[in-house]
Amino acid sequence: MSEHNQTNPPADGPLWGLLAEVSTPTELVSAAAKVRAAGYTQWDCYSPFPVHGIDRAMGTKPTILPVLVFMGGITGTGLAILMQWWMNAVDWPWIVSGKPYFSLPANIPIAFELTILLASLTAFFGMWALNKLPQVWHPLFRSDRFAKVTNNGFFLAIQADDDKFDREATEALLKEAGATAIEAVHLDADPKKKKMPRQIPAFIAITAVAALVPFACIAKARTSKSSEPHYHIIPDMDFQPKAQAQQASALLPDGRVDQMPVEGTVARGELKADDHFYRGIVDGAWATTFPEQVPPSKESIERGHQRFNIYCSPCHGLSGYGNGMVAQRAEKIGSPNWTVPSNLHQEYIIRQPHGQIFNTISNGIRNMPSYGAQIPEADRWAIVMYVRALQRSQHATVADVPPTLRQTLR
Amino acid sequence: MSASSDNELPPGEKVRLGPLGPQVVRVAGAIGVIFLIATVILGLTNGDHMRRFFHSYLIGFTYFVTLGLGALFFILLHHITRTKWGVTSRRIAECITGVFPLLFVLSFVLLLPLLLGHESFYSWSNHDFVAHHEAMEHKTAWLNAPFFALRVVLYFGVWMALSRYFFKKSVGQDASGDPAASDQMRRAAGPALFAFGLTLNFFAWDVLMSLEPEWYSTMYGVYFFGGCGVMFYAALALSSMGLRRRGIAAKSITVEHYHDMGKMLFAFIFFWAYIAFSQFMLIWYGNIPEETAYYNVRIMTDWKWISLALLFLHWMIPFTFLLSRHTKRRLPLLALFSVWMLVMHWVDVYWLVMPAYSPGGMAFSVMDITATLGIGGLAVATVAKLASGVDIIPTKDPLLGESLRFENM
Repeated sequence: MSEHNQTNPPADGPLWGLLAEVSTPTELVSAAAKVRAAGYTQWDCYSPFPVHGIDRAMGTKPTILPVLVFMGGITGTGLAILMQWWMNAVDWPWIVSGKPYFSLPANIPIAFELTILLASLTAFFGMWALNKLPQVWHPLFRSDRFAKVTNNGFFLAIQADDDKFDREATEALLKEAGATAIEAVHLDADPKKKKMPRQIPAFIAITAVAALVPFACIAKARTSKSSEPHYHIIPDMDFQPKAQAQQASALLPDGRVDQMPVEGTVARGELKADDHFYRGIVDGAWATTFPEQVPPSKESIERGHQRFNIYCSPCHGLSGYGNGMVAQRAEKIGSPNWTVPSNLHQEYIIRQPHGQIFNTISNGIRNMPSYGAQIPEADRWAIVMYVRALQRSQHATVADVPPTLRQTLR
Repeated sequence: MSASSDNELPPGEKVRLGPLGPQVVRVAGAIGVIFLIATVILGLTNGDHMRRFFHSYLIGFTYFVTLGLGALFFILLHHITRTKWGVTSRRIAECITGVFPLLFVLSFVLLLPLLLGHESFYSWSNHDFVAHHEAMEHKTAWLNAPFFALRVVLYFGVWMALSRYFFKKSVGQDASGDPAASDQMRRAAGPALFAFGLTLNFFAWDVLMSLEPEWYSTMYGVYFFGGCGVMFYAALALSSMGLRRRGIAAKSITVEHYHDMGKMLFAFIFFWAYIAFSQFMLIWYGNIPEETAYYNVRIMTDWKWISLALLFLHWMIPFTFLLSRHTKRRLPLLALFSVWMLVMHWVDVYWLVMPAYSPGGMAFSVMDITATLGIGGLAVATVAKLASGVDIIPTKDPLLGESLRFENM
């Protein structure tokens, strides 16, 4: 590598300081120790990479950046919790997955992310601020020799405004400290050159204004109404060329997507001719017996017990008194549109024929939705059987207890 | 500057245990034997078909398995990344992996009763339990005594083979000074990490997670791994400091190395907490009965005090203190938190195992302590015996010089 021709930096303006080059990082550390021992305060070391031990040699105070980063992190945690509390518990109370409005475990992931975000932003901008960056102009940049500092040069510079600065004495000290070359660096005589290039503040201003655009959009959306449909960013996903239930269609008869089965045909498994089993009707009246497919037996009742606990107990309660968890909750929060689930032990329900209860499960009643789509017919009958057993259990008499067990009763 | 003078220990450095080795072997061995016998007597007189004994024993056993696994991980990690700072403390890790043959023998105490049809320990080995829990019938293909025992033997086989290979190679390099040994170990570390990861996860699922066999979590092995790291780095810092007090390897393992051990301890404390919370949050959010059963026992009974203790004492307090580099660079403080984490890791293992024994709430027993002390005594004696015969620093490692000169920024 050829050393390019090095001229001394121009000496037009007032003296800024002396720049000394040393050949190795180790010499930089020892030179720094000497300059410090001589009592200088306005000076600095420059090297292409961090040099071990330079902080101690220069007597640099430990940076407060870690403390700032810690504060940034804590602020992030606090802000995240506060934000989620405000959003979900105060401004827009919304039950998610049955959790309380303000629920710490759910807030932890956001709190974690914001902690990291604010800690790293503090580290980044704190580093810039503590180093007084961005600094677009420095007298040392006028030295050609100093360009090596990003590659293989190690430098030490003492400023002329240091109280101990004395042109000759300082130069002698730097020589003694191992400088291979010493240059006098002057400030630029032309004050215009010390200014920040106009493009940089312009860029910062434009970005700052652009960053406000999303907030402006949000503010507009919150204060105005619009009848325009929303934007479709991916229209071919929003509007797919396929038929959906209840849509219009130009291809199909009557212009509808939904079509009746072809006249005189029955889809496989849809021939539900057995009125007793499928509809609970015998000879035009509610069935009072169980269909032959679900004979009264211990297995049927146990099956019904299990299905009842899954499908019915949330509202009707495990014993059928209409006090299930959902009902209790609705009563507790005073839900305005809640229809209280029936107590299955009311006289009129006990008197209902089996078929009518089967029909209620199949098609629903009042606010109770239809369960026909969820529970197969055989299971619905099993539930009816279990409801009968439940009703019997709440209105039992001594006569219902087998004679051999009666003496155990008190 | 020739390569050889560059790569040598500081003058006058002591790298042999000397009389300290046999001393530790005698004391720790005696502690181990006495406490193990005491535990067996306590277990027999407890009148519960040794159920309590097995759980207490499993805690001590698992505690030292995590120590060995952490050490093995350290060795593999440092070979595969060609890390410099770890060279001076690698031999200590290699000696610690010498616990695996001992633990293998100790595992028979758990395996033999299972094979002989003892049904009161793992509930999946209990026919009544399996018959009354529908999901269990589908799990017996995996969870049955012979297959279980075979797998545990396999895990220990892998760990013993790996630790033996890296120990032998490394000690062999002390004598031969052959730099090629480092390359061979580095090449072996890749596949070894695969085997390590698989066996560690399956071990955690088999030996610990199957205590509550209806519950499962795919994060469990990773959680267990977090504990291994916490255990090992705390133990590494403490054993290095113990040697330092006797003037052994005192100039080779410097504050810079302790600083890095502290960083790794800190990292694993956080990793453990991160995984623990990730596992908890998904189950808490999903709120599905078969998944919440595990946390139900640990949160809704008085086990919650242990859960809270883990949150604050296993994570929050040590995390906050170890954030600072000053804590990591001041040996008394680092020693304090290392001891702290050794205790808390034991509590963590306790929290994994004991709720399976008494799901109704906390139930302490002297056996819990004596079993750990017994197994611990034997483990320390085994490691000390192995360490007595070798140098405590890998004296001919080609990276030794760089490790000695290592400095943190």
